[in-house]
Amino acid sequence: MAVTEQAPASLGLLATLRQTPVSFRIGAVILLIHLVVAVTGPFWAPYGYSQMGAGPPLAPASFAHPFGIDQLGRDVFSRVVHGGHIVLLLSLSGTALGLVIGSIIGLLSGYAGGLADNIVQRLLEALISIPFLVLALLAMVAAGPELSGNPVLVVLVVALVYAPRIARMARTAAIEIATRDFVTIARLRGESAWSVMRRELLPNATSILLVEFALRAGYAPVLIGSLGFLGFGLRPPTPEWGLMISENRSLLLIAPATVIGPGLALASLVVGLNLFTEGLARILGRTVKLGVQQ
Amino acid sequence: MTRLVQVENLSLSFRAGERWTQVLHDVSFHIDRGEVLGLVGESGCGKSTAGLTLLGYRHNNARIEKGRVLFKTEDLLRLDRPALDSLRGNRIGFVPQNPTTALNPSMRVGDQIAETLFLHQSMTSDASTARARELFELVGLPRAADLIGRFPHQLSGGQQQRVCIALALACDPDLVVLDEPTTGLDVTTQQQIVSLLNSLRSRLDMAMLYVTHDLGLLAQIADRIGVMYAGHLVETAATRQLFGAPRHPYTQGLIGSVPRIDRPKGDAPSPLRGFLRRNELPPGCAFAPRCDLATPRCREEPQALLETGTNHLAACWRWPDAAAPRLGQSTTSNPSRHKDAAPLLEIQGVSIAYGRPRGIWGRLFPGRLTDAVRTTDITLSRGETFALVGESGSGKSTMARAVSGLLAPREGRILFNGEPLAPLVRHRTLEQRRRIQFVFQNPDASLNPRARIGTILARPLDMFGEAGDIAARVTGALADVRLDGAYARRFPDELSGGERQRVAIARALIADPQLLICDEVLSALDVSVQANILELLAKLRAERDVAMLFISHDLAVVRSFADRVGVLFGGELMSVGPVERIYAPPHHPYTLSLLEAVPRIDVVRESKPRRPAAPQLPGVKPKCAYAGRCAFQLGQTCVDTEPPWRDAGGGLAIRCHIPVADLLKHAVPYASPTQVKEAHT
Repeated sequence: MAVTEQAPASLGLLATLRQTPVSFRIGAVILLIHLVVAVTGPFWAPYGYSQMGAGPPLAPASFAHPFGIDQLGRDVFSRVVHGGHIVLLLSLSGTALGLVIGSIIGLLSGYAGGLADNIVQRLLEALISIPFLVLALLAMVAAGPELSGNPVLVVLVVALVYAPRIARMARTAAIEIATRDFVTIARLRGESAWSVMRRELLPNATSILLVEFALRAGYAPVLIGSLGFLGFGLRPPTPEWGLMISENRSLLLIAPATVIGPGLALASLVVGLNLFTEGLARILGRTVKLGVQQ
Repeated sequence: MTRLVQVENLSLSFRAGERWTQVLHDVSFHIDRGEVLGLVGESGCGKSTAGLTLLGYRHNNARIEKGRVLFKTEDLLRLDRPALDSLRGNRIGFVPQNPTTALNPSMRVGDQIAETLFLHQSMTSDASTARARELFELVGLPRAADLIGRFPHQLSGGQQQRVCIALALACDPDLVVLDEPTTGLDVTTQQQIVSLLNSLRSRLDMAMLYVTHDLGLLAQIADRIGVMYAGHLVETAATRQLFGAPRHPYTQGLIGSVPRIDRPKGDAPSPLRGFLRRNELPPGCAFAPRCDLATPRCREEPQALLETGTNHLAACWRWPDAAAPRLGQSTTSNPSRHKDAAPLLEIQGVSIAYGRPRGIWGRLFPGRLTDAVRTTDITLSRGETFALVGESGSGKSTMARAVSGLLAPREGRILFNGEPLAPLVRHRTLEQRRRIQFVFQNPDASLNPRARIGTILARPLDMFGEAGDIAARVTGALADVRLDGAYARRFPDELSGGERQRVAIARALIADPQLLICDEVLSALDVSVQANILELLAKLRAERDVAMLFISHDLAVVRSFADRVGVLFGGELMSVGPVERIYAPPHHPYTLSLLEAVPRIDVVRESKPRRPAAPQLPGVKPKCAYAGRCAFQLGQTCVDTEPPWRDAGGGLAIRCHIPVADLLKHAVPYASPTQVKEAHT
């Protein structure tokens, strides 16, 4: 019967969308807005991100300055708009790097099993047991002051925090997939561990890994924001949202919009990403289950 | 006799996405009190769906189009939940296919029975314990008091199924529905369950609906049989009539597909061809695409059940032609192939154990490891097919794993083409890896679901350094297993089970092996598909002169296929010999029990000879692995000393303390007197 059931590809995009969970659709819209702002924002933002004298310092929110003016006389709304692509880019590339490293380690470790797997797992557990901010700060300190504020370092830290967590998921998947006969056949053929991972394990773990990527990416802006807030992220005057919240936090009572503005941007991005990825996970989970039934 | 169940014109549809697919078409049958009705057909023919409606059960996405299911006087399809609940498990019992998932793993089996009794008969715990004990005795579970307190995982598969039967019988039902109750079990266990059911029905006078794909089984238990195809009931008749004079071409094909143990090699049945394609059903007879007698009229005109004899109905207007004797074309003919004298594979004194010694104790006393296979010798010549037969746990798959290099033997060695094989596959040469190939039991698991068939087939060529036109080779390999070249672009889940197994065979053969290890390659497939795969293997074997290590639990399949047979029990070879000698007396006692366990369609419900139960042995592990289960064992001798190999003539070797002359007395029932006499001389 499996042959008769066609994939819903023929239904068209709109019909497919209608079958998705509501949360997925809301998340997709929020995310789309963020993407559009991140890509086009620098072209239509009313002021430059470091342009001073946009208005009277500490002016409250108004129609001309929705998020108010900070201490140095910069328009906070413009800064938020300018910062969009930085936050998105750093989050996604950091998570992607973590995914690649974590998947490779996890899949190989799960496939190898035995002592090697045991050692790798204990190391990963040790890394996971360190609270992620502490781990991030340790990495920053280890990198030395000359690299401080470098965006590449932020990406590496995000990857370092996520890779062990993703590796554990990948390992679990690998252990399950490795018991199936087609992996045994590959082993009997004399395939190397790398080849088995690439040809047999990875294609069958993609949906699990994709969900894992999406869930982690949803939290990455918070991680980067926290680093910025603590002063270990990017350097001023970069309009990174966490950094902005940190800079303006003393103004919270005088000009609340300067803190609430970037906070709102960060929160909506995280909420949007989470709704989107949760929906994505459900959709992928459904197709995965269907695949098993056939 | 009075009618207990009457199913009238039942039509039922399943929803798939937006569409409704009709899976039952106007199905009508009845069951009398105390009668056993068998429903048989290939997978996807609707037999289980039809069977489950007798429990008033239907899937959430199912819709009854029309029809009634009368149990006594009530229509089960119109009862509400509470009314159904009071019937199910009470008046109507159910025995599922897989007892492992049917029993609650976190509840003692005795409590599960007590639960049913409390629900339907408000029985107190004391009374229900007594009743549970009674039921356990009834279903042949000894030491009931001990078993009642166990959890399902502490029981064997056969015992679990007995518990499920006890559950179904708990409230003395009028009807028991059995859905493939022995499909997951060993042949010997299956035989025990079937004889249990036979004895229960005569004692308890209850009706049964027995749903199965195995016609041979129904011959032993059913009074009447209904044959289903693509949601239609195509033939119903009394069991003897159905086997004696099948009217519908589909029934004839099904009977032809059953491997027959009483039929020697070369005299092959004419099995069903093709398989059920639900998306290509003609408006007329659903079976027309696979029928040898099909005419244009068959494809146009829906068929209704016609009276073809007393209480014999068949849905084929050409039944007089179908009933006329036709010559079955011999397909699996196995002419004696040229065999090189040079041995291809030599297994010498191999013992295999799972796990490795752990800790100081394990190192000091390595004997504590139990061997899955003990000191076994097997030799395979080039082009020869050696069948390794035994029940699960006999070590036959372990042996395959050792030959393949997945599991290092504890001792002994394996030679391939005269050269020793490294114990583990990663130490073997490319050439050795290429010359030994495998086909596994379950085709669903042996193909990467995310790779196209073409990619799967091309990989071995790439790996073994084949140059040339890979695409052409892939198409050629598909053609070899009778699949269209266009399949290369498909994914495994777009193929049927039989087609997937063909791809698995193609993948093994594309490497041009000298030895093909087939590990239960048929047991996950439908009977009709099994016959096709077996025919294909026989053809390919003849074309390519490839030797096979054919592992199977089914002595009937092996008979039409193998050159030599080894019977394995408890990790030890019990008997080895040419295929014809294995099936003729004298038999090793274990071979005998395997032979008797094969369901046979020519002996309709004939009482099998009752063997005395094996005597209980003291707790020590006997030297003869089979001593604990042997009905003929000689007592202490079998426990204390290793059984000797005895020459039983004609190349047959039997490992038993009982002299050959004495073994001859216990012939299997179908062996003709002449055969016995021949063996005597």
